[in-house]
Amino acid sequence: MPIFDTPEALETILGGFFERLRFVEQAYLIYQIGGTMEFVFRKPDTRIRWVPQPKTAATPFTVAYGVPTEPVLLTFEQDGDTAHRFWLGRVNLQQALARQQVVARGPLSRAMKLIPHLDEIYPLYAHYLEDVGHAEWIGGARS
Amino acid sequence: MSASRLIRAAILPDYDQPIEVTTVTLDAPQHGEVLVRLVAAGVCHSDGHVVTGHLPLPTPIVLGHEGAGVVEEVGMGVTHLRPGDRVMVSWIPACGHCWWCVNGQPELCEQANTSAVSGERPDGSTRLHWHNAPLYPFSSAGTWAEAAVVPATSVVPIPDHLPYAEAALLGCAVQTGVGAALRSPLRPGDTVAVIGCGGVGLNIIQGARIRGASTILAVDPAAENRELALIMGAHHAINPAQEDALTAVLDLTDDRGVDVAFEAVGQPELIALAFAAARRGGTAIAVGVPTPNATVSVNAFAFASQEKTLTGSWFGGSYAPRDVPRLIALWERQQLQLTSLIRRQYSLDAAGEALYQLLHHPAGRNLITLHSSPVPPDISEKGA
Ligand SMILES: [Zn+2]
Ligand SMILES: [Zn+2]
Repeated sequence: MPIFDTPEALETILGGFFERLRFVEQAYLIYQIGGTMEFVFRKPDTRIRWVPQPKTAATPFTVAYGVPTEPVLLTFEQDGDTAHRFWLGRVNLQQALARQQVVARGPLSRAMKLIPHLDEIYPLYAHYLEDVGHAEWIGGARS
Repeated sequence: MSASRLIRAAILPDYDQPIEVTTVTLDAPQHGEVLVRLVAAGVCHSDGHVVTGHLPLPTPIVLGHEGAGVVEEVGMGVTHLRPGDRVMVSWIPACGHCWWCVNGQPELCEQANTSAVSGERPDGSTRLHWHNAPLYPFSSAGTWAEAAVVPATSVVPIPDHLPYAEAALLGCAVQTGVGAALRSPLRPGDTVAVIGCGGVGLNIIQGARIRGASTILAVDPAAENRELALIMGAHHAINPAQEDALTAVLDLTDDRGVDVAFEAVGQPELIALAFAAARRGGTAIAVGVPTPNATVSVNAFAFASQEKTLTGSWFGGSYAPRDVPRLIALWERQQLQLTSLIRRQYSLDAAGEALYQLLHHPAGRNLITLHSSPVPPDISEKGA
């Protein structure tokens, strides 16, 4: 059984988490990435993206759904379970790229701005899952 | 333990930025580490790939992952090196304890790979600092600098009669290229193709010659590289800008294809070319390093129906403490050429020019030559 059984479930859970990330101190990293970062999901099929906002905006990026209407800099394609395990800190990105569990398009070097900070972000996802009543998913996926 | 010191180093502040040659802080070597005062450092295509972001390593970074110099200081627990030793510096400090090290593939060492990707020592620290922030060395090396603190396992002593410039090439290009050929299925009398004749490809040619290949076909669009390929032992040099490389290889092999084809550029379409150039039952080996999200398309039917193998070689499967002395022995017996690989030498201040040449006019191996004057005196303050 996949963690997210419908596109709506994935959008609610991961989308909600991304919404929360807009307000954390690492959100400014989107400016170093320098463009829209899109997550394309399979099983279930949906897409969510982080869209950078002007520095005067309330948060450094907004979360958008569906087919992009603006240019996308970086795309990460993966299935819902891989995404879930990734945000729990259980996916080695280097290995996942090599096994094509995660397919990246665009200048990967821009994503490097985020990678040193992932260890600070992973616990936020676990906390978030607790907050939304899915603590049972934290240990659930195979590491 | 001595204090930190100030050194000059060539830094890439961020991807696609100009190289900055500036003063940085280098900490004293800790347990299992040595401080090497560098005399020569190689300019490798991987350095260029970091600059363009195709090899995404953490920035700011001190470039350079092969070099040679003199040990100036050793940390606790280092027994095979002493201050004053002449050494070469390599870039995969195999830990000796992880699954890959224990199972005979130290080139895939988990700890060395993690350090290369993170830029940090296993405890999360760095020995380099710039503007009060961590500065990362390229693959635990960072040889485009007056000095480097590196894991002692990256360092192998060299004999007095081996010049520093030649020794520097042993750090990456020679181990990667010669190692790829020596560990390939190549048998004496085989025909091989080498696609891409830069620093690594030229050394694949040398390795294939040493291994006993009867016919070596070199493919490269640059005239200088084709000329060098013939000097290294190739028998035919194919210019893919003038003729279709696959047709040329087939014409030279009675339409059979080569026994072993090496790709030494890191371009998916050239990996596919190597696969196409291999004979039925033959092997194609990807040695060049593509960007981590690259994919390659090859004929699936050929795997089963033609028993073709497509495989890869990382750092030539080399383990510096084992292989560098063997390569030096081959050099001493004139079987391995080093001097003729060296094209241009640049001062540290000209590191940007060296990179420009690498990216626009690649040929042979270029070097950064560091003056061999003593490292500046220790400073009392840490974290400058
Ligand atoms: Zn190299
Ligand atoms: Zn290891």
